Amino acid sequence: MSLFLDVVTSSAVLFIVATGLLTIFGVLKIINFAHGAWLTVGGYCAVATTQTGLSPWLALPVAFVVGGVLGILTERFIVRPLYARPLDAILATWGLGIVIGQLITLIFGRDVQFTPSLIPGTVDVFGTAYSAYRLFALLAAVVLGLGFAFLMEGTRLGLSARAVIMNETLARILGLDTAKIRTVTFMIGTGLAGLAGVLLTPLTSVDPNMGVAWLVGSFMLVMVAGESFGTLAVACLLLGGAQVVVSTYVSPILGGITIAVLAALILRLSPKGFSRA
Amino acid sequence: MARRRRGLVLLVLALVAAAVMLAAPAVLDRFSLNVLTRAMIFAILAITVDLLWGFAGILTFGQAAFFGVGAYATAMILTHVGDSAPYVALGLVAAVILPMVVGAMVGWLTFYPGSSAFYATIISLVVPIVVTQVIYSGGTFTGSSSGLVGYWGMPLSLEGYFRLAGVVLVAVAFAALVFVRSDAGRLLTAIRNNETRCAYLGINTQRIKILLTVVLAGVTGLAGFLYANASGMVAPENAGFVFGTELVVWTALGGRGTIVGPVLGAVGIGYLSAELSGDLPFLWQLLIGTLFVLVIIVLPNGLAALVAPLKAWRKPPPPPTLVALPVTVPRRTGTAPLLAMEKVEKSYGSQKVLADITLTVAPGELVSLVGPNGAGKTTLMRCMTDGAAASGGTVRINGTAIAGMLPDAIVARGIGRKFQVASVFEDLTVAECLRMARACHETPSLVAAAETLALPASAIDILRLTGLDRMLASPVSLLSHGQKQSLELAMVVSLEPELILLDEPTAGLTKTERSTIGTVLKTLTAERGMAAILVEHDLDFVREISSRIVVLHQGRLVVDGTVEEAVNADIVKRIYSGGGHE
Repeated sequence: MSLFLDVVTSSAVLFIVATGLLTIFGVLKIINFAHGAWLTVGGYCAVATTQTGLSPWLALPVAFVVGGVLGILTERFIVRPLYARPLDAILATWGLGIVIGQLITLIFGRDVQFTPSLIPGTVDVFGTAYSAYRLFALLAAVVLGLGFAFLMEGTRLGLSARAVIMNETLARILGLDTAKIRTVTFMIGTGLAGLAGVLLTPLTSVDPNMGVAWLVGSFMLVMVAGESFGTLAVACLLLGGAQVVVSTYVSPILGGITIAVLAALILRLSPKGFSRA
Repeated sequence: MARRRRGLVLLVLALVAAAVMLAAPAVLDRFSLNVLTRAMIFAILAITVDLLWGFAGILTFGQAAFFGVGAYATAMILTHVGDSAPYVALGLVAAVILPMVVGAMVGWLTFYPGSSAFYATIISLVVPIVVTQVIYSGGTFTGSSSGLVGYWGMPLSLEGYFRLAGVVLVAVAFAALVFVRSDAGRLLTAIRNNETRCAYLGINTQRIKILLTVVLAGVTGLAGFLYANASGMVAPENAGFVFGTELVVWTALGGRGTIVGPVLGAVGIGYLSAELSGDLPFLWQLLIGTLFVLVIIVLPNGLAALVAPLKAWRKPPPPPTLVALPVTVPRRTGTAPLLAMEKVEKSYGSQKVLADITLTVAPGELVSLVGPNGAGKTTLMRCMTDGAAASGGTVRINGTAIAGMLPDAIVARGIGRKFQVASVFEDLTVAECLRMARACHETPSLVAAAETLALPASAIDILRLTGLDRMLASPVSLLSHGQKQSLELAMVVSLEPELILLDEPTAGLTKTERSTIGTVLKTLTAERGMAAILVEHDLDFVREISSRIVVLHQGRLVVDGTVEEAVNADIVKRIYSGGGHE
């Protein structure tokens, strides 16, 4: 039972962390290698909120706004010139990640910070005491996934974004302001990354490099998922589940490379990942 | 002669640089010696990153992994196996061979037909992560997270290591410069520019990329050996992907595609980091990060681009002299037709694009493939050159079925294909493009740029008739649309194919250029025994040059006959004159 809950909640955490990256990659075909930095920014939003004595829950909207605003600036000044050079965009956003990491270090110091758990304690699930917060993360992932499905399927923005995904030139000819759609998409992606950073804080400590550890994993999951949130959920469950199983039964160190190795193999066999398999 | 002089200048410069390396310890303090030795070892890695990314276009973070494997191989042998001179030699061998073995596996995994540039980058992230985790899980064997220290190394002084690292760096840089200026080196740029064209010139690009990965993994391992000896310690971070990204940062700042730029970038940043990071550690990293972002966006060719205008002073190397190859009429063995298609079909899902195509082409024929847009002409051509294209039926070339064969293997069987949109190499010169077309006949030199360029007489004719023979040294990016079309045609003819496929070779050309191409094609087929299949819309042109016309309509072959038969066929009149609507 505990293993099952571990699998489900770990996958949920991975899903939360990867959504921001997928949003940007799905629509813009750009890999935001500063994604880790946005997670860190989110984490420090939680630190700053609790330091000023406010409710830790307030960190969620704060991080979304801070992440989104930084995202607008980034899209305008760094990503926009690089849409035609996707490999260079990886590098420029990685450089931005270095810059953000160093700025955070200058402001908050390089020490590890801790934040109070949003939901402390355990809950009894079918006779197993389990971390309440991890269960909350599961709920958050489901809400996030459904919310996003609604955004993409049920709103005008989602329709425009899907049009850009399918055929950007045509979308522009039909009068869609593709530049604005790009900016808004990037903003949502980075806002979600900030949000994910806050949600991570009860599970990990906060330090200027906390995001980098999550970057590669979410990058791999997004590559396997392609462009839809449904496939991302599948990828998180399968690869995240494999990671938990390997970590529990074989070794935590091998567990740490499970996602990367499986993703590499899946992409080798099916270059489009799960999106058309 | 001029080419040889350039090579000589490079050699003299390398010798001077090596002499400076040997003499420098006399004037450097201990701190600088230490820092620079390390930085120069890392500069060797930057050269390998530059060859992969700057030249061949493979963005890689994985060189750190090969470096780690080399360094750990050395350190582990010296720690666990033995600590005397023979074991240092063993360490050297292991440090070069092991990364090459890993490199071969990684290359095989990464570069498969149709693999994307992103996939190479993904794998280059996975490899360092795997190597690092293996090191962590190695217990006392690898020293786990604290690494290995205190093993016996080569008995060299601080100055000795500086000289060794310096001389190796100069040697690697010299070899890299000689290679990238050679004919074989230009292949990397060709692959970066246009991998499809390379494949359709019969070049196995996957094999070249794997080979490059393997060789550079060996060079990287050598740097790892030097590092393990000089620093006296190895740590998991040496193999990590963050170190891999630093290598890319140095390469980008120095200037990708220049060899010298990345060396200066690695040494300069390494030295300045050590000098400044004590006083303002975070600010320095911040500065590097900001500079890196700026360089990627506004100065993609790095700081080396700032001095590029100086290069204009240097005279460019003279173009090679054209030499005509003796005319050879291909000797045919067997009686199988050159091309035989039988019941070929192609569908995308339920959409049938080609159905029941049966077509035979013999040597000396000039077959025109006509039909309205969307009839499936280009798709049919793809079925002739890509073993994975057709969804049914068989395609045989000289009797051999090509199902499952890759374009480069099919081209090697004597097929040349010219694409609808001119497919050439934008960053090469005219002469270099033509040399690529000969690469599968004459293996290009790894160390020299040849002074002559031997081409079949018919290719030279095309160059003469279009004036390209006087533009051999011109960069392709400066050619007009028509010139690029002619260049591509000359390249395909240089392959000396038995069958040449031309997709709208005259689209967008002037009337003179058209008749030039027409004349060349007639000569090639009538006199040299080559066969040609031509997709063409200009019916007058088709009527003038073809020996046979094949009409394709809605994915089916509706007419296959002489010019007269085809022109008078009812269906052709209907399709082309709109007679069907009368």
